[in-house]
Amino acid sequence: MEKDNQKIEDFFYRNNEQVNNPIIKSFLSDSQNLYLVQKAILYPTDINRKLVDESFQSHYKNVRKTKYVSNLIYFFSLDFDKKRRRLRKRSLLILDKGLSEKDGKTAIERIEDASNETEPDNIVGEGLLDNIEDEQLLKSLQKLTVKQLQILEMIYVKELSIKEIAQTLQTTPQNISNLHRKALNKLNNTLRKKGGMTYGEFRRST
Amino acid sequence: MVNLGDQHNEETLTIIENFIPKIKHCLHNTDYQEREDLEQEIKLKIIEKLATVRFQDAPSFWDFFS
Repeated sequence: MEKDNQKIEDFFYRNNEQVNNPIIKSFLSDSQNLYLVQKAILYPTDINRKLVDESFQSHYKNVRKTKYVSNLIYFFSLDFDKKRRRLRKRSLLILDKGLSEKDGKTAIERIEDASNETEPDNIVGEGLLDNIEDEQLLKSLQKLTVKQLQILEMIYVKELSIKEIAQTLQTTPQNISNLHRKALNKLNNTLRKKGGMTYGEFRRST
Repeated sequence: MVNLGDQHNEETLTIIENFIPKIKHCLHNTDYQEREDLEQEIKLKIIEKLATVRFQDAPSFWDFFS
């Protein structure tokens, strides 16, 4: 036993430089590997040496892989950022950034407001009346004035706010609200006369 | 991509899991809007590279010693 220890120590002493090589050092720091190496030193059979080699190869590969992945993550993150920055610079998304000309306008001011362009005339006919299935309701709706129809359509089909409608028709929100209520009342009366739906049912059906 | 079997997939998964702290750290290299994208791209890249890169064969252990 004493002799064995001497033999192992001798081996490591002779190869002091190699043992301090980081890859060997990390390999030997695993007790299982150290045991295999000691066994191979004492009994240098082919099998024992081969066992050490196999273990060492897998250790070596793991170290390389780890190093590789570690570098990959770091440099990939830098490249990724560079690439994204370049793309962002090329295609600016910020609309209120000043344009290069001297008039001080921003890009967003140049984009025309599409919502103001919708003519009120275009609205009637393409939405509300086409979507009514109930005949009685359709007849009642046709009795309303064009303006009332427009308003109903904008509220229930286009889902605009009262304020937006007032802007489109160039009147006040109060006026729109009044017209809206009158239209509903009128519908309610016509439908009741015919013994059809109630006001509540009308609201639900639109 | 080359399918190298379950063992390879498991190994790749372990490597990625072990590297998550490092990945999270490197996310700070970009703006916070981009971080989710970057994290995914890094993981994809690792999977891709581990499947394709051929790692150099290790020298024999006994080559180091006289």
